[in-house]
Amino acid sequence: MALENEKFNEDKINEIDVNELDCRDTLTFWEKFGNIFRSKSIWMLHYCTGCGAMELPPTMTSRFDMERIGMAPMATPRQADVLLITGYLSVKTLRRIIYTYEQMQNPKYVVGFGSCTLNGGVYYDSYAVISRLDYYLPVDLYIAGCMPRPEAVMSGFKKLMNMIKKGEALGWKRYQKYYDWYKKNQVRALGEVYVKDEFHE
Amino acid sequence: MNSMNNIVENIKSELNPENIEIVKKNQIAIDLKNEEVHTALSYLKSQGWRQLTLLTCVDWIKENKFQLVYILMNWDNSVTVQVRTKIDRNNPKFKTIINIYPGAEMYERDVHEFFGVSFEGNPNHEKELFLELWDDIPPLRKDFDPLAYSKKKFDVREYKVDFIPKEGEAE
Repeated sequence: MALENEKFNEDKINEIDVNELDCRDTLTFWEKFGNIFRSKSIWMLHYCTGCGAMELPPTMTSRFDMERIGMAPMATPRQADVLLITGYLSVKTLRRIIYTYEQMQNPKYVVGFGSCTLNGGVYYDSYAVISRLDYYLPVDLYIAGCMPRPEAVMSGFKKLMNMIKKGEALGWKRYQKYYDWYKKNQVRALGEVYVKDEFHE
Repeated sequence: MNSMNNIVENIKSELNPENIEIVKKNQIAIDLKNEEVHTALSYLKSQGWRQLTLLTCVDWIKENKFQLVYILMNWDNSVTVQVRTKIDRNNPKFKTIINIYPGAEMYERDVHEFFGVSFEGNPNHEKELFLELWDDIPPLRKDFDPLAYSKKKFDVREYKVDFIPKEGEAE
């Protein structure tokens, strides 16, 4: 066991704190201008990875109604702005998520939902669930909780909108700039980023 | 309950199981030798147990055995029969039942993936079903350590400890 731990320390993920790195130097006037309008009309991709998606129906429908702050669900990745990782993310889903994320148009934002995306949550010792999302995709905002209530979700979305307006939600730029680092981590966890579906062979 | 006794008597006389028990209302479990399983399944299917609800596996690591459990359901009298048999754990092998219950193909792939039991005669039993690119021993065996695997494969977030309670201090 001790031997195994030593070995694991050797080939650990080389932690460069990508979240601290500044990608803001290229904001032009038109980007700033665009950000104001982007923040007011956000389409989130309707793709639910885990149990956290349970909190979205009340958030979307009449009681909390996220359309009043300017968000609506979208069916296809190419037309969506926000990717929600709702709850636990298994390695099998992570492959699909990476495909989906790379299909989305810039600018794009990732929101991690619940404690599973933060540190594994109750699935911290699962062989099939990743422990920390921001090693694999650039996360702009985490909403903590297991699960976060619709109030927390709404407050999180509001915060995301402010971040977009100020030009702070730059995960997609980090993903472009540190693509190799993200790819290395993805390959480390997944073996190979490929999606094979035997029912469509 | 009378019909239940009839079924039990019938199974006893026809299949001669090592052990038969009534698990709960409408549920019977029988333990069989390896070579009797296929005959028993064909017989039960002809008697109305046409649905294979589940094929699963139990790891008895101290006995060094795997137990295969075939759960059959009869829609006419709603009695469930569990057919159980124990196989060797070191070289787990069993004959397929896809000629009796064709739907067992997926369950056999499932059991092969999570326990490593190979099913002779099922052409697809080694094809991966749920786990993609698995690189360790089958994960539902008792000697598999999921925490060690998770730590090795997915790095965890490290937290700075801000406060350590002193001895005797309530948390």
